[in-house]
Amino acid sequence: MIVPQQDPVPLLQADDRTLVGRAADGDSQAFAVIVRRHGPVMRAYARKLLGSTDEVDDVVQDTFIDAWKRLSDLRDAATLRSWLMRIVSHKSVDRIRARRYHDDIDQHEIESPTATFPENISVRRSRENALGQVLSALPERQRQCWTLKEIGGYSYDQIAESLALPSSTVRGLLARARRIVTKEMEGWE
Amino acid sequence: MTPPVDPPTAPEHDDSRLDGYTLDQLSDYLDVGMTPPNPDIDSSAACQIALTSLRRVRAASALLLDAEADDESPPGDGWVERILNAISLDFHAGRSIPVAHPSPRAVITTTEGAIRGLIRAAGDTVHGLLVGRCTLDGDITTPGAPIRIRVDASVFWGQQIPKTATQLQEAISLAMSNQTELNVTAIDVTVHDIYRP
Repeated sequence: MIVPQQDPVPLLQADDRTLVGRAADGDSQAFAVIVRRHGPVMRAYARKLLGSTDEVDDVVQDTFIDAWKRLSDLRDAATLRSWLMRIVSHKSVDRIRARRYHDDIDQHEIESPTATFPENISVRRSRENALGQVLSALPERQRQCWTLKEIGGYSYDQIAESLALPSSTVRGLLARARRIVTKEMEGWE
Repeated sequence: MTPPVDPPTAPEHDDSRLDGYTLDQLSDYLDVGMTPPNPDIDSSAACQIALTSLRRVRAASALLLDAEADDESPPGDGWVERILNAISLDFHAGRSIPVAHPSPRAVITTTEGAIRGLIRAAGDTVHGLLVGRCTLDGDITTPGAPIRIRVDASVFWGQQIPKTATQLQEAISLAMSNQTELNVTAIDVTVHDIYRP
């Protein structure tokens, strides 16, 4: 007869490998710890791609539901975070494609984004926050491409294929985004 | 100066050349780990300044999500609950394991997932250790077939690993013999980590 120990199992302290192993074996409590631990980063990532919409929560919830089904495919628990991010990327891209951008991208993006940057950027408390501000002021398509490339680790071709855009358009959007971001970040050592 | 790389066709690539290179070409150069070395870029002050900027942005990008996650309100119970509800019918049952019954007309089975749950529960009775992945090697669908159990575990600081691992083996062995008909021939424990205080 198994007598449960007095203290609850300290799952909150468990490393990802232990949690992934337990969750893959069907332990939903271990999975809940994974959701709480990685949920905020996945939401931040989805928000970068989708903007601040209700879709962010849906995408991240769908991501974790998919992850539960596929956990036994994850060979190396050390890659849990990037594995989850890939699922967020796919699901976010699906939503972006469903939005059906009718307007011409070049027209859409030609507005001068520098005019919309917050003036108090220099008083932001960290370089990362400053970058976050710069990105959120980018035109949507530029921000999506930049995020997939620099945070999601996508190649140019993968971005083009995912967003159903010509490769040359993706390169153009990234070139503009990169120029703006590096210029705005010049003061941040 | 002639650019050593063919310029891309889009006009926006052309308006900010750095000793013949665009920011994008420099970014691509960083992507490939600056190998093979390009002496033109490596000896150009303008390129080096731009590369420093790109590296700075990359460093910030690597930490950006964590910084923003810190500002996220923690996932509410309701939000987590919705995920758990959605997965609640998917038990990760695995293979079916026949259970002997005196009546030939009765077919009773348990599942691999249930056995793993038993192993986990047994492991959780052992102080100072957390059970991770459990694997059942062998043909569990055939009654009496030899089964080897492999358990991944992590141990808390200050525990004697051999002693704790032995306790885990004993707890699992007891649970298996009391509650299953599996012919367990070995229980391998791998301690993959120690939690430091």
